[in-house]
Amino acid sequence: MNRNPADIGGEDAGRIDTVDHGMKFWEKQANALRGTLVGRKVVRLDELRRSAEELGSRYYELAYFERTTEALRNLLLEKGLLTEAELQGKMAEVRGRYDA
Amino acid sequence: MTPSAYTPAPGRRFGVGDRVRVKAAHPPGHRRTPAYIRGKVGAIERVCGMFPNPEELAYGFDGEPKHVLYRVRFSQTEVWAQYEGKADDCIELEVYEHWLEPA
Repeated sequence: MNRNPADIGGEDAGRIDTVDHGMKFWEKQANALRGTLVGRKVVRLDELRRSAEELGSRYYELAYFERTTEALRNLLLEKGLLTEAELQGKMAEVRGRYDA
Repeated sequence: MTPSAYTPAPGRRFGVGDRVRVKAAHPPGHRRTPAYIRGKVGAIERVCGMFPNPEELAYGFDGEPKHVLYRVRFSQTEVWAQYEGKADDCIELEVYEHWLEPA
């Protein structure tokens, strides 16, 4: 059966964490970027959902904002809107800026 | 019942009250019909209207032609074999026409 990782209706959920963990700064930035790209119709919500589902087993290993961010990254690469080299270059630049 | 006021959905296959079975298929790809409802029988509660097909939008296509979306009402005891709630409890899901067949 081709059941995607988001299709879990009816499965045992275990304990539900009801504590509000807030959002880290990068999570807010990532959310804003995703919202802007959807709002400008550069990507669609349906595409982002599909991209997240295609993470396969990685879907379960990632936290929520890591998952949505990686789904966005993969989708932008798929669409040819940025290249892996550009992404790596920018990440190195930002890392340098913060002396990280 | 309140039929959709914003999209008339002409030429639709089902009307309010019709009994339908959700297809029991499990095709690959981005599907918006949850696994737990596939193969279950319910009744059309309302016609929601016509919308671009999300299963195509998910791959960057325009989703045209639009598909008719229905709200379908299922008995909880039909959906969950072990259901312990009241016998007349129900669950409603919105399902596209291409996932439904007459029952």
